Amino acid sequence: MSIATPRYSAWSLLRARFAGDGYWRPLWTGRRLQSSYDVVVVGAGGHGLATAYHLARDHGLRVAVLEKRLVGYGNVGRNTTIVRSNYLLPENHYFYEDSLRRWETLSRDLNYNVMYSPRGVVDLALSDDDLAGMARRGNAMRLAGIDCELLDLGALERFCPELEPRRERRFPIVGALVQRRGGTVRHDAVAWGYARAASALGVDIIEDCEVTGVHSTGSVATGVETSRGRVRAERILFATAGHTGLIGRMLGVPLPVETHLLQAMVSEPIKPFLHTVVVYVFPGHGETYICQSDRGGLVMGGHLDGFPSYTREGRWDRLEEVVEGAVELFPSVGGVRILRQWAGTNDMTMDGSPIIDRLRYDNVYVNAGWCYGGFKAIPASGAACATLVATGTAPDLIRGFRLSRFATGHLLDERGGGPFPVRL
Amino acid sequence: MTRLICPFCGPRHLREFEFHKTVAAEGGSAFARVYERVDSAELSIEHWQHVGGCRGWLLVRRNPSTGAVTDCQLVGGGEPA
Repeated sequence: MSIATPRYSAWSLLRARFAGDGYWRPLWTGRRLQSSYDVVVVGAGGHGLATAYHLARDHGLRVAVLEKRLVGYGNVGRNTTIVRSNYLLPENHYFYEDSLRRWETLSRDLNYNVMYSPRGVVDLALSDDDLAGMARRGNAMRLAGIDCELLDLGALERFCPELEPRRERRFPIVGALVQRRGGTVRHDAVAWGYARAASALGVDIIEDCEVTGVHSTGSVATGVETSRGRVRAERILFATAGHTGLIGRMLGVPLPVETHLLQAMVSEPIKPFLHTVVVYVFPGHGETYICQSDRGGLVMGGHLDGFPSYTREGRWDRLEEVVEGAVELFPSVGGVRILRQWAGTNDMTMDGSPIIDRLRYDNVYVNAGWCYGGFKAIPASGAACATLVATGTAPDLIRGFRLSRFATGHLLDERGGGPFPVRL
Repeated sequence: MTRLICPFCGPRHLREFEFHKTVAAEGGSAFARVYERVDSAELSIEHWQHVGGCRGWLLVRRNPSTGAVTDCQLVGGGEPA
């Protein structure tokens, strides 16, 4: 009962204008769950949908995406929409740069406007130590051919005059690292765009279908048990970041993952005044990153809540801290009210980097451990993870993300903080 | 979850406390104790420290799905002097 998805273009929009309501169709179709698939993907978030899209498009496989709740209910709809590739370690910056290149063309690839906005991502330095660390990170990126610039106060003032970098403050700004190609992407559109494109390629997206177990014969998984019955599958992928610890528990595999909350908030809409993404880590305690959405709301986030939780609520004093940072940066927004606040559950790994690997069975894979960096990784993760699932061999781009790195000592500890997700 | 009841200091705001890690299973390897975590949606057994108070190490039992704290004792089970 597939409904043909019309191809969007200027011409199709013009036609829709005169065709009335009859033109618009559901972006993806409500298909029936079949009894067997080449690949079952668990989790219809950004990573699950992107992987399903690439499995169908690049590898021609029959794929189902099983989702416990709704498409885009989890972290793909709960993040602060920032994309960037300003990482120090090669495994990370090459991977995220691949992702950023895909973001640049994703709207065309999916024939769906994901509103990629290369408005720049600015990390503020508040001390010479900060600046030295940023110079090191920036040099590592430039050696890898990734754009980034270290800005002194004059250059920062030219790039972001609304910051008033020379203004007297409690923590004076001494410089910044900017990645101009970084920016924001409309997060819900990413879930919808991938779901639409995957569905058009014949992927079955099944909502309200919880996976409760894995069936196996020896070391080979044969299918999954779901709330809608048993489904046979040649291969299974868990793309359930935020709940991967529980998946590990279900499979009897302890994982180097702890589940923490990260909250975000948005203010009431105000006139455009902030044209970039500003990341402000202030000494001793807090962090605020802030940008302004196209609708005018200030979108803000900060540190993790700091302890394992599945409540998706977020602690009040963290919200206060993030808002304090925002007002410190831009005193003029002090009177603006917070409109909404929410939280997402994050797979925090013990080195802060993701895990894309086989898990327990020969044909079960996991795409997890995205910490607070999962959204920006979606396009690269989808393509690379699809190759891993389809061929059984990890492409070079994600070889560093193997699970065994914790045992062999090949950690990707970007922060240099040891095996604890929370900054102590 | 907005506060913890410290056995020394009584009910105090959550911001005085720091979560350390979930308690590893008995008899695990050194690798497991350092890197692996016990994840449960119903019961989490954790080490916390009251860094903004008595600095005592605490053994906390919580439900991570609701935030309800069922128990908060000194590590080792000692009584406050």
